[in-house]
Amino acid sequence: MNKGFKWILWGILIVVLIVYPRLFGIYYTNILVEFGIFALYAISVNLLLGYTGLLTFGHAIFFGVGGYSTALALTHIQGLPLLASLLIGFLSAVLFALILCPMVVRLSGTAFAMLHLAFGLLMYVVTLKLRGITGGEDGIGGFPIPPFSIPGIVSIDMTDPLMFYYFAMIVLVICISFLWFFTKTPFGQIMVGIRDNADRIDYVGFKVSHSKALIYIFAGGFAGVAGSIFALFQNLVSADEFSVLNSFAPIMIIMVGGIASFFGPIFGAGIFALIAELTSRYTERVELVMGLILILVIMYAPMGFLGLVNMARARFFNKEGAS
Amino acid sequence: MDATTAMYVAQGIHGLAYGMVLFLLASGLTLIFGMMGILNMAHASFFMLSAYFCYQFQIWTGNFWLALLFAPVITGFFGILVERFLLRKVQRLGHIGQLILTAGLGLIILEGVKVIWGTESKPVLVPTYLQGLVNLAGMEYPVYRLFIIGISLILLIILSLILYKTRLGMVVRAAVSDADMVNALGINVPVVFMTVFGVGTWMAGVAGVVISPILTVFPGLADQVGMDAFIVVCVGGFGSIGGALLVSIICGLLNSYGVQFFSQLAPILIFIFMVVVLTIRPMGLFGERE
Amino acid sequence: MNILETRGLTHDFEGLKVITGVDLQVAEGERHAIIGPNGAGKTTLFNLITGTYTPKGGKVIFKNKDVTGARPHQMVRLGMGRSFQITSTFSRLTAFQNIRMAVLSKRGIRFNIFRFVDKMDDVTRETDEILKRINLDGERNIPASGLSYGKSRSLEISMALATDPEVVMLDEPTAGMSVDETHYAVGLIQRLTEGKTMVIIEHDMDVVFSLADRITVLHHGEILASGAPGEIRKNPKVKEAYLGEMEI
Ligand SMILES: Nc1ncnc2c1ncn2[C@@H]1O[C@H](COP(=O)(O)OP(=O)(O)OP(=O)(O)O)[C@@H](O)[C@H]1O
Ligand SMILES: [Mg+2]
Repeated sequence: MNKGFKWILWGILIVVLIVYPRLFGIYYTNILVEFGIFALYAISVNLLLGYTGLLTFGHAIFFGVGGYSTALALTHIQGLPLLASLLIGFLSAVLFALILCPMVVRLSGTAFAMLHLAFGLLMYVVTLKLRGITGGEDGIGGFPIPPFSIPGIVSIDMTDPLMFYYFAMIVLVICISFLWFFTKTPFGQIMVGIRDNADRIDYVGFKVSHSKALIYIFAGGFAGVAGSIFALFQNLVSADEFSVLNSFAPIMIIMVGGIASFFGPIFGAGIFALIAELTSRYTERVELVMGLILILVIMYAPMGFLGLVNMARARFFNKEGAS
Repeated sequence: MDATTAMYVAQGIHGLAYGMVLFLLASGLTLIFGMMGILNMAHASFFMLSAYFCYQFQIWTGNFWLALLFAPVITGFFGILVERFLLRKVQRLGHIGQLILTAGLGLIILEGVKVIWGTESKPVLVPTYLQGLVNLAGMEYPVYRLFIIGISLILLIILSLILYKTRLGMVVRAAVSDADMVNALGINVPVVFMTVFGVGTWMAGVAGVVISPILTVFPGLADQVGMDAFIVVCVGGFGSIGGALLVSIICGLLNSYGVQFFSQLAPILIFIFMVVVLTIRPMGLFGERE
Repeated sequence: MNILETRGLTHDFEGLKVITGVDLQVAEGERHAIIGPNGAGKTTLFNLITGTYTPKGGKVIFKNKDVTGARPHQMVRLGMGRSFQITSTFSRLTAFQNIRMAVLSKRGIRFNIFRFVDKMDDVTRETDEILKRINLDGERNIPASGLSYGKSRSLEISMALATDPEVVMLDEPTAGMSVDETHYAVGLIQRLTEGKTMVIIEHDMDVVFSLADRITVLHHGEILASGAPGEIRKNPKVKEAYLGEMEI
């Protein structure tokens, strides 16, 4: 694909994102926001899973911490600007990742997955029990959503779903682009090196534990941003954000979309959103359909949607599929 | 005997009974993981499915014993089918593949029971002679809890005999500590795997049936008890039956006494316990491999 | 002057003594072969020197610095390269990416998250030069797992050398190679290690005598003899240890 063509594609994408609300109305606009949030969340998990080969059953910790800290900050700090609340979500998740780092970086495989499951469960229960701070089962809702304002220039009302859509999309696209760039840097090479052969990484002169820590912090921080936007979007956070199901969701999204590519999770999130939307029209049992799809994907298309696309491309053009 | 002692004893029996049910559930989970490396996210769903089968059998036959006999067997058979036709196909994908597959299966079972039996909880009745209290050596014990403890002990003994006294057991134990060795010995691994998976789900089925009169049967059953079983396996160590037994009982007792002494904190305690154990020993208390 | 030394190096695995009081001396610029029967402890000695394990006793001195217990990545940064007996490359990365990993490390590019790695032209150029030198430019974009055995061994050896170490430790570089491949590999090693200090573990005596100018014989975790190839060939103790095992 040549450069000009790529730019045209980007241009089309941006135009589509801009006119989308006018074409499809607010209901579908909100679906798109949710899709974007989960795409970012799944991409952050895929930094660990697909790039570094670390399976985690507890990434919801960071999603939840991001959401709760944004919600708490907005509840308790009067007049907190929007971007500051987002930054608080990001930084709290980063802080959490920093705290967990020393315990998790020496681990891999099942031990890594299980310890995260344990942390996730702990967070879930603690959130339920610390009613005074977290609101227990009810969660925290109805906190003020500040306008997006640059003093003296603009102030945009973020309770307007249309405006929130634009704000969320800009933040999400920036974050996802940044993470994409992250995987293309020299450090991105070290990530895949750890996945392929962590032992050898040491003998090339990189320190595995430090590198893992950095990846972990990025994966945590950006899941925090996703959680933070989700909190603003719903104007509500609840303990469900820490639930095991919310830790599994990105793994499923990744598998359905394609683990071997950066863009896999985006397609996965899209497919999930589409299925949820389509099936909910015909049946209450969306999860039943999800379960079936997961089984079918894992049995017949383990590389996910993008894996299928590459296979089809290879067949039609009789050449190696692009990654 | 004064009232306080009696209450402690009763709590202890309750805790022990729950612990033993947890053990039935967790031992299957830990064996399957230890031997096949499969993290069976659907294990607790099988447990719940069996409870529903039990309920249905009771509706049809009115007999608890028939339900106790048949529900776990059908569940185990179901497990065998899953191993044979689904899990075996994704073996080459490793942990993540199995995880996704069994998680998907769990979702399907959960939604399936809602479709078939609805969302409200269903009662399971035990025969009158298993109800009420029995007086032993001057103390009153709830009969049904004693029954649970008894039946679990019998299964525990049978399981240990099979594991430690038969050739199959030897193979299974060898596989738990070193999967390659069994391949090297030239034992028909797929058949052994299928058997272990079937027996594991069968035990989950027994657990589901015996707990159903206490907790009733409802779609949240899998989550509620399954999470505890998962903790037991993680803390006890993957593949360790002894570890599962010990931690199940601790978990059961903590569940019944914890509520009394720490009320609010009880559920948190067990998770903190889990985090501490896994931080220090990632392979669990008695686990040999990670 | 000795660039690498071990003093009374000792190690055991849960009581099983594998290395006992090894005093190895490697002079700068030397091509030093370590030979010994299977299980003599050669790989373990490498593991102790390169930081895989921390020795239970004794010292490792590298460039006049006590590096006992240093971690592998520290040893690499100090200027030591290592290849493995069992090929250990990045299986899903291409030959190019494998070598580039080492080139990045050599240039101290570690936590760089600010530039496209594909656009670092100097890194790309250097990597391609290395690929050409080891005759892998034709396989540039093939994943390491898809290379032939001989080529993947070349890649293994080159990764140890691509960080441009002063001392390179090669653990049986020709293991499992055919006669032709071995012949080619010896030439490759000679070319690539020119001007460097090399320590090589090798079973093939032809390879040893064509590459080494000093030989240390390890037996049951102890040094049996150490000296020039001619001396070792004549040493009666060595002959005894090798009796019926290998022809010298
Ligand atoms: N990690 C370990 N744990 C326990 N024992 C080990 C370990 N590594 C090596 N050994 C034992 O130490 C001894 C020396 O092994 P080592 O690999 O150093 O021999 P070697 O000289 O490299 O042999 P080869 O020529 O076969 O490569 C052997 O008996 C081996 O079984
Ligand atoms: Mg060796």
